[in-house]
This record gives sequence, structure tokens and C-alpha cells, in this order.
Amino acid sequence: MNQPIIRAENLGKTFPGGGGGLWRTAKPDVRAVDGVTFEMTRGETLAIVGESGCGKSTLGRLLLRLIEPTSGRVLIEGTDITTLSAAEMRRMRMKVQMVFQDPYGSLSPRRTIAQLIAEPLQVFGLVKGRRQMRERVAELLTQVGLPPAVMDRNPRQFSGGQRQRIGIARALSVDPSFIVADEPVSALDVSIQAQIINLMQDLQQEKQFSFLFIAHDLAVVRHIADRVAVMYLGQVMEIGPKRQIYEAPQHPYTQALLSAAPEATLNKPYRRIVLQGDVPSPTSIPTGCSFHTRCPLAQDICRTVRPGLDRVAPGQSAACHFAAPNSLGAK
Amino acid sequence: MSAPLLNVESLCVEFGPKSAPIRVINSVNLRVDAGEAVGIVGESGSGKSITSLSILRLVPEPPSRIASGRIEFEGRDLLAMPKSQLRHMRGRDIAMIFQEPMSSLNPVMTVEAQIGEAIMLHQRLGRAERRARVIELLRLVGIPDPESRLKAYPHQFSGGMRQRVMIAIAVACNPKLLIADEPTTALDVTIQAQVLDLMKDVRRKLNTAILLISHDLGVIAEVCERVLVMYAGHVVEDADIRSLFENPQHPYTRGLLRAVPSLTDEHPRLYQIPGSVPQAGSIRQGCPFYARCDLRQDICARAMPAMSTHGARHVAACWATQSMPEVRSA
Repeated sequence: MNQPIIRAENLGKTFPGGGGGLWRTAKPDVRAVDGVTFEMTRGETLAIVGESGCGKSTLGRLLLRLIEPTSGRVLIEGTDITTLSAAEMRRMRMKVQMVFQDPYGSLSPRRTIAQLIAEPLQVFGLVKGRRQMRERVAELLTQVGLPPAVMDRNPRQFSGGQRQRIGIARALSVDPSFIVADEPVSALDVSIQAQIINLMQDLQQEKQFSFLFIAHDLAVVRHIADRVAVMYLGQVMEIGPKRQIYEAPQHPYTQALLSAAPEATLNKPYRRIVLQGDVPSPTSIPTGCSFHTRCPLAQDICRTVRPGLDRVAPGQSAACHFAAPNSLGAK
Repeated sequence: MSAPLLNVESLCVEFGPKSAPIRVINSVNLRVDAGEAVGIVGESGSGKSITSLSILRLVPEPPSRIASGRIEFEGRDLLAMPKSQLRHMRGRDIAMIFQEPMSSLNPVMTVEAQIGEAIMLHQRLGRAERRARVIELLRLVGIPDPESRLKAYPHQFSGGMRQRVMIAIAVACNPKLLIADEPTTALDVTIQAQVLDLMKDVRRKLNTAILLISHDLGVIAEVCERVLVMYAGHVVEDADIRSLFENPQHPYTRGLLRAVPSLTDEHPRLYQIPGSVPQAGSIRQGCPFYARCDLRQDICARAMPAMSTHGARHVAACWATQSMPEVRSA
């Protein structure tokens, strides 16, 4: 196997609760990401799925060192980026890029499309002079399916789907080896969503970057991912090749998540398992297995001993004391 | 055929000045029978929310106005009704819940006061009876230990619990019709499943008819028997869910069904509908889907097709498929 493009080792992030002092009671710390380990090879798509507050977005930001981890490290092509100086990290950013969820909030309204797309190129000195810059921008716009003539317009003149294309062009401009996309299609209408998903798949096939796709929509993930990691309260509960995750999920949370997804079909693929209660707050993560408060299979051991993310099948690992394919009978 | 509970006929809603109106809802027909669950599916700008708001005349006038059409509830004409009488019907006969429960709930009122208010508006009950009714409603919507949550404020509830409180307020007076506009869009998938189950449960227990507005056909299929597909202010297809899934007639519906990735099959590529949703009111002639349609003909650019019938309780507005032999889609 070739060297991984990216490797996360025991990665963790705790946000301090703040407060305290003389008059206020201190707020508890938020453990957003806790002991996450995985690696990705070249050209691979790993999807991170989970509900809000599970730490998937924080994980994406940690991998690009947009925020500093409180524990663990991130290796990009073998280099530990958590110890790089600011200048070294800036050079590293040529290899790692991000596509954001909100195509309205992530593009400055005061700049033209050409300025927005060319900014990374200029920062890294990849183009010389205006003419070369405009040629490269035109090429990038064509790659994302927009006519080059739009480069002098402002973002407000574009629809959500077109803006997401611009965001993708910007990320691609430096020819990165790793792209994190945080919910890139969840703000888009269904008919536009399909266009953007197809575009991202085509581009990945052509350019062979590793792609971390953060999403909550399990159907979109099944379509786009090679492997899937399911997160709950900052931890990876299950990770594996997508076919195994969808056909033989071993963690009860994965099964419940799959069974809860509404599907526009008459033959429901999964029997509905409705979980009781809400996701606990990340300020007070349950002891033992963090899922035990909602798990239909919870036993005494689950309340006290946190299960490790252990191998349950080739390439598939699950953090459950009672991991077994379809243990809840959802399939 | 029995008289419908809600009957909307040829509803047109316009925005902007009368001299140059922008028509956002175009000749919409919608019928909901007592106890029935009907969905409206569409993308942003399709007019699904404006349609649902128009029923209770909640679209702000100005800038918008109901230009023409009829809206009848149990045979009474809601458009001709004085505002005072309509206010009497809101909450009692027809109740509504919205996408974002936090902005619909009053942050400085307790849950008991908010649910109690809804009861007080339409029913004469003493304090103790009212409290008992609030507890009963909280129990109905599945809030654990309701007695202890009476004095809680909305911020002390999670998103899913707030939507339960909204549903409790909505069903406080046993409405005959519950209009739910994207009620689960802001919720996580496991919480969405809980709220959809609750809506089905409420319907079964109270025999409330439901009009569910969503961009997600999967959500509608969970709750409803019948669905209207809206596109650019028009209803383009109206069918039983089963019939719509097995035999979609409008090219837009077909595209929508194929463009959604599936939990079960893997296709190398998703079908994509070319182009983007037209801006409201930008299409003045012909079929609104013309520019994106792969079955378009010359006539489609000139005239909006009428609804044609495709089996029992299935109509679609398309020139191309109205005379075609039935195509079984996968």
C-alpha cells in the first residue's frame, strides 16, 4: 500500500468552557473531538457522517490546522503539521484546501470572481502577471462548468449552485492533494445538488486528490464515498468500506442512523428504529460508551467501560462491546 | 365524493405593484379531505410555502396579494371572511407549525403559558383544568415528565423537544387541519424520525388532516398518502405517493426522483436536471419547466399544458406525457 496522504493520530480537541472568575460559575469544557485515528490514501474519498454536534466539522478543521488540536497529531504526506511554524504551515496549505457549506457566506461580496479564485494563486506566487492569472482563472472556471466570461462579476450575481462551483474552483486553484468539503451540498436544492456532486466526482477522478466529505445525508454519502466514518459525540463509532457500512453495519448507532433516513421509495431498505431521547451534550459525555444512554442493546458494561474502535471485519472497525452485523435487525 | 375539508381552486398570488405584478403562485388547485395527509414538495422558490401561508391568509399584504382564486374550508370561503372571523379559525380549525421552533416560540414565556394561551383563545377552561390539559398535551407529544417541565422556557429544550412543544400548541384545540411547513428541516435525522412519528401518531389519535410542506420527498412519503409537486409557482403533478413513485408523469418529477441519491443502490453518476430553478415570475408564457426539460416540444414554449389524467387520482401538467403510453419507471 502506498503512503497515506493524510493520517490522524489520536486527534482530540477540547474547547475550554470559559467563565469562572469571581462572579460566574465556570462553564464545563466541550469535548468536541476525542481520540480520532484514521488515514486516507491518494484519490480516496472518506465521508464523515453524524448528527449536529458530533464533532465532524471540528475534525475537518483540525485536519487542516484551522484550529489547534489539544491532543494527537496530523500527518500530511508524512509531515506532522501540528508542529510546523506559521511559515511552514502556509506552504503546506498549498496541498490542503477546503470547500465550505455556505456558498453565500464564504465568498467575499466585494470582490470579483477572478479575484476570489486567483487569491490562492497569488498568495503562493503560482501565477505571474495579470494575463497569466486570467488565463488560469478561465481554465479553472471551465473545469467547474462556468463560462470564463463571468470572471469579472460579483458573487451576488450567482445562484447557490454556481457559487459552490466558484468555491470549488478556488480550492482547486493550487492543485491540492487533499480537500476537505464541509457539507458542500446541504444548502442546495435537490436538482442542483446532483450537479455539484457529479462535478466533484469528475474532478476527483481527474485530479486524484484525497477527499474528506463531511455530511449528514447518508444517501449522498453512499453515492460519493469509498469509505465512511460514523461519528457520535466526538468519537468515531464505526468506520469501513461503504458497502459494509450500509449492508452490514455493526454499531447500533450506525444502524439507527440508516434506519432513520427518509427515503423516497416505496420499499424501505431498513426497518425503522426510533432512538429514544436526544444526543447528550458534549459538555457532559456519558461514561463508558457515549451511546449507551440511547442504545437499545446497552448492558451494564456499556455504562462503565468505553469500547475501543476494534476491527470487526476486513477494513471495518466498530466501537461497541456487542458489535455484530445488523444487531438491531434494521435490515 | 364527500365534500373536501380544504379546497383551494385556481389560487394566484402576486407580489409587487399591481401595474407590474410578479406572479409567484399560478392557478394552484389543492384539495385535502378530512383526516387525509397531503404533501407539497418543491425546491426553493417553487411557491410551496406561499401556498400554505395563503390558506390562513398569512402572506403579508402588501407586498403580496391573493390576486384570484378560492379557498374554502368546510365549505366556508376563507377569502371572503372578515379578519376577525378568520382569527377565530386560526388555531381552532386550522393550525400551523413552522421550520424553526425557536423563532416561533416566545423566549420569555414558559411552556405552560404558551400552550395555555393557545387553549385560552378558543376554550373556556379554569386554571386547574387548563393546567391539566397542558400536561395532557405535553404527554401526547412525548415530552417526558411533563409536570416538571411546565415552568421551563424554550431555551431549556433541545430543537426536537421545541418542535414537540410547537406541535402541542398546534393541536391544543384539536384542529381539523394541521399545516406543517418544513417541520423537520432544522432537525437531525434521528430527531426528524421522532417528530415524523409524532405527527403520524397525532393524526391517528386526533384524526387531524395534515398538509406537509417539504423539499424532501422521503419525508413526505413517511407521512402522506398523496403529494403535489410544485415548480415555479405551478402544481405540475398531483398523485398518490405510490402512483407518483411507480409512474411519475411530469419530466420534473421524474428528474427529481432520479436526481436524489439512494441509500440502497449505487450508480456511477447521478442524473442531473440541467440549468437552475427560474426566478419567481420570470416565466410568463408556456410551461415553466420548458428550458430544462428533455421532452420539450414547440407547443411547450407557447402554452401551459392543462392537467391530464393518468389513472385514478393522478394528474400531471405536461404536453409531452399526456398522450404518451404509460412508461414504467424503475
